[in-house]
Amino acid sequence: MKPDVIVVGGGMSGLAAGVGLAEAGASVLVLAKGAGSLQLAPGTIDLLGYAGERVASPLSAITALAERDPGHPYALLGADVVADAARWLTSRMADGPLAPYRYVGSPEENMLLPTAIGVPRPSALVPETMGAGDLRQGGRMVVVGFRGMKDFHPALIADNLTRATGGAMEVRATQIDPPPALDGEPGTMRLARALGRPGAAEALATRLATVARDDEVLALPAVLSIGDPHGVWETLQRSAGRPVCEIPTLPPSVPGLRLFDTLRTLLRRAGGRLVTGSYVVGFKGSGDRMEALRVHVSGGERIYATRWVVLATGGVSSGGLALDADWRMRETALGLDVAGVPAPRQPRFSPRYLDDHPLGRAGVAADRDLRPLDARGQRRWENVLVVGAALGGAEPWREKSGEGIALASGHRAAQLILGAERSVSDSAATKVAQPIA
Amino acid sequence: MSQIEADLLVIGGGATGAGVAWDACLRGYRTVLVDRSDLADGTSGRFHGLLHSGGRYVVKDPRAATECIEENLILRQVAAATIEDTGGLFVSTPADDLSYGDEFLQGCADTGVPVEEIATDEVLRREPRVNPAIRRAFAVPDGSIDAWKLLNALASGITEHGGSVLTYHKVIALHRDGDAVTGATLRDTRTDEEMEVTAGFTINASGAWAGQISAMAGIEGVTIVPGRGIMIAMNHRLVNTVVNRCTTPADGDIIVPIRTVSVIGTTDVHVADPDDHTIAQDEVDQMLDAGEQLVPGFRNARALRAWAGVRPLFRDARAEGSDRDITRSHTLLDHRERDAVERFLTITSGKLTTFRLMAQETVDAMCRHLGDARPCRTREQPLPGSEGGEYYTVGTRLRARESDGSDPLVCECEMIPRTRLEAAMRDKGTVNLDDIRRALRLGMGPCQGGFCTYRATGILHEVGHLDGATADAALLGFLQERWKGTWPILHGDQLRQSRLDDWIYQGLLDVEHLPDWSAT
Repeated sequence: MKPDVIVVGGGMSGLAAGVGLAEAGASVLVLAKGAGSLQLAPGTIDLLGYAGERVASPLSAITALAERDPGHPYALLGADVVADAARWLTSRMADGPLAPYRYVGSPEENMLLPTAIGVPRPSALVPETMGAGDLRQGGRMVVVGFRGMKDFHPALIADNLTRATGGAMEVRATQIDPPPALDGEPGTMRLARALGRPGAAEALATRLATVARDDEVLALPAVLSIGDPHGVWETLQRSAGRPVCEIPTLPPSVPGLRLFDTLRTLLRRAGGRLVTGSYVVGFKGSGDRMEALRVHVSGGERIYATRWVVLATGGVSSGGLALDADWRMRETALGLDVAGVPAPRQPRFSPRYLDDHPLGRAGVAADRDLRPLDARGQRRWENVLVVGAALGGAEPWREKSGEGIALASGHRAAQLILGAERSVSDSAATKVAQPIA
Repeated sequence: MSQIEADLLVIGGGATGAGVAWDACLRGYRTVLVDRSDLADGTSGRFHGLLHSGGRYVVKDPRAATECIEENLILRQVAAATIEDTGGLFVSTPADDLSYGDEFLQGCADTGVPVEEIATDEVLRREPRVNPAIRRAFAVPDGSIDAWKLLNALASGITEHGGSVLTYHKVIALHRDGDAVTGATLRDTRTDEEMEVTAGFTINASGAWAGQISAMAGIEGVTIVPGRGIMIAMNHRLVNTVVNRCTTPADGDIIVPIRTVSVIGTTDVHVADPDDHTIAQDEVDQMLDAGEQLVPGFRNARALRAWAGVRPLFRDARAEGSDRDITRSHTLLDHRERDAVERFLTITSGKLTTFRLMAQETVDAMCRHLGDARPCRTREQPLPGSEGGEYYTVGTRLRARESDGSDPLVCECEMIPRTRLEAAMRDKGTVNLDDIRRALRLGMGPCQGGFCTYRATGILHEVGHLDGATADAALLGFLQERWKGTWPILHGDQLRQSRLDDWIYQGLLDVEHLPDWSAT
């Protein structure tokens, strides 16, 4: 097999690139080392939540950020690409296997959704099952937990939300028994699977109806099934007669898993392949062209020739970047130069956890066409594009920008590759891919 | 202001002070033990966990060696549950002088430390990760000892025998009545409430802080030179036996397997402030490189966290000479002889292994001062939890888990079930998760609190009926406390783990925006 594009990494950025390319007719192989980082993520698409102050309007804040900080990934992408990518994802979810489960919200404004410790957290695009939690509307909320669930503490959430909203919201907490069908400890995945069974949503709705008061939003941990979130959510809202919202919990994340399942299905539906348990162990390049990747797959190593590589291996948390015991940082798949790394004798971290850390923005530097730059600022490879958290220059968790950068850069990489292939085919060279305009 | 009376006030909740209080309680004295922080929050909880056989001192300091082996054998009887019987090895690496081995053997014979030379291939069979180039090896009865378990057992013993333990009570003044020390004013550091203690006798066991305490009694010249040493815990038991380099004691020449980790130590840097816990980059590199000498691959193994402890090295400004008088064996200052101050003793320096002996000598001295000879009982009386005489083994928690797996785990790394966590929270009545860590090892495993910090905060909020602000402070405080020990060593998989933890706390929970928020 000789794919047109190998995408290395099966998280948000890799799947956004892979789906975009495959749906446009390219032959796409996505190599994923593990299950992908989406299962760790809350499932929301946070474009930009904080830029010093809390951000109300992500797109205009992204424009300002791009001007202020030319090294930030958003400066390479621009607000228009972000808006385009957001529209794209919304439309793909609507065509996905979980539809009518969809994403709501807009890149023009942030909602404020409760976190599992009761902080109002800015998010732009969120699953419909979370939308009713938007704290900007004020009012009353009851946070409902399942007894014995260790990753969700309703009383603490309610306490913090009440204080956080300065009394604008009245939030209380209650606990209910987990579904009787549940065998064992009420963990996130067990609850989600149990609530996907026939009749489970109706039974839960009956219990919720006794808990809710007239004017309250019902907030539950994000466990309203993996396979039918829309159906479960609708059933609860209808039977309880109250708006229901999910609050994302500690990993593994059910909404993240739904997003992963959707993108993986769309990729396969468009003819792309996803190979899990695979990772790059070497490469063959010539001058500025990457020609082939040596890949560990189950059973041994294989060499894949390719026209394009999209590097979507993520940052340190995903293993895309690694700091060695000699205090030097590597990009682990292709050995690209990493920018923003303090010298071995210089401080890498600050003694206070929540301060800025010198190493915090380390990553691969790229140009506006997402091509990786070497230490001298020169393009290293013409046919390698870097996307997602492997890119340096951002503090995705502090900024609440991780999914936004991943989505927009993955989407942009697909566009850039399709554009380049189009110009090749326009000039009557060999046609490998058949891009759809 | 509340007032209490006691026969004896002991200042300092490390092994020495708790040992003194335990000894005094067993002799029938009504005793109050106070510490400005939690038990074992000072030097006792910040060492590598070695129960010395004495082997380390047989050449350089024979008296210390003999004390160590005698105390080692006693602690194995009375504090077995806090000890893992790992055994110890002294190995000659290619960098070490082979002839030291002969001096070592002779030293062991002279001081009474049991030793056996063993073939190097036998060492490699027992400990496959040890440097295969070692040339000689000797087995000695080293072990590892859990300081928090020890201190908890001592505290239980003290309270069971009528004493009391006041943690988070700082001495803000010592009282004098003429020549005699008669008690102290304490401040509860959590509530700022003050308390008066009237005591028939006062013992200063505050270790590296002993100069500060004795100055409160108007005594000058008790100079403690704090010697700061760092230790690094590696994520695995790279060895299951204590491994020492068979050479003149130096930095980074020992690896101690304790609980689920192995600890390398240590350095020795004189510092001005006993609260200086700085971990310097060059010391980290020095430890990792030293580990590589004993266990090839050590440098690239996963380091969990680093910490610094401060040894109290005593220098008597009243004695002639200077550095010559700095000693590592313990020092008992009789302030009646030295300063004409009655009813006050200072015990400082020493090693955790000899804490019982130090306590015995100190309480003996008090008995002489009081003219009240009462015999010491700590040689025979087992500590609570050690009555059965069984050692701790690394599989203890797993065995408990396998016999009853129904109780959900809050901390998977250290296998802490929810009911145990809730019981510890109730018992301690604390709002500080670091206290729970010292009691149960919460957050001490590979994820360094990544999952359990959130869970424990939620449970503490519920069990302790805390308000949101107090719970938030507990969470943020524990995140900071964990970070303090991880950032100096973060690399490789542990950095990856730490970034996942950031993802949870910053990305998902947004804790950096606890608790203030203004609606817009």
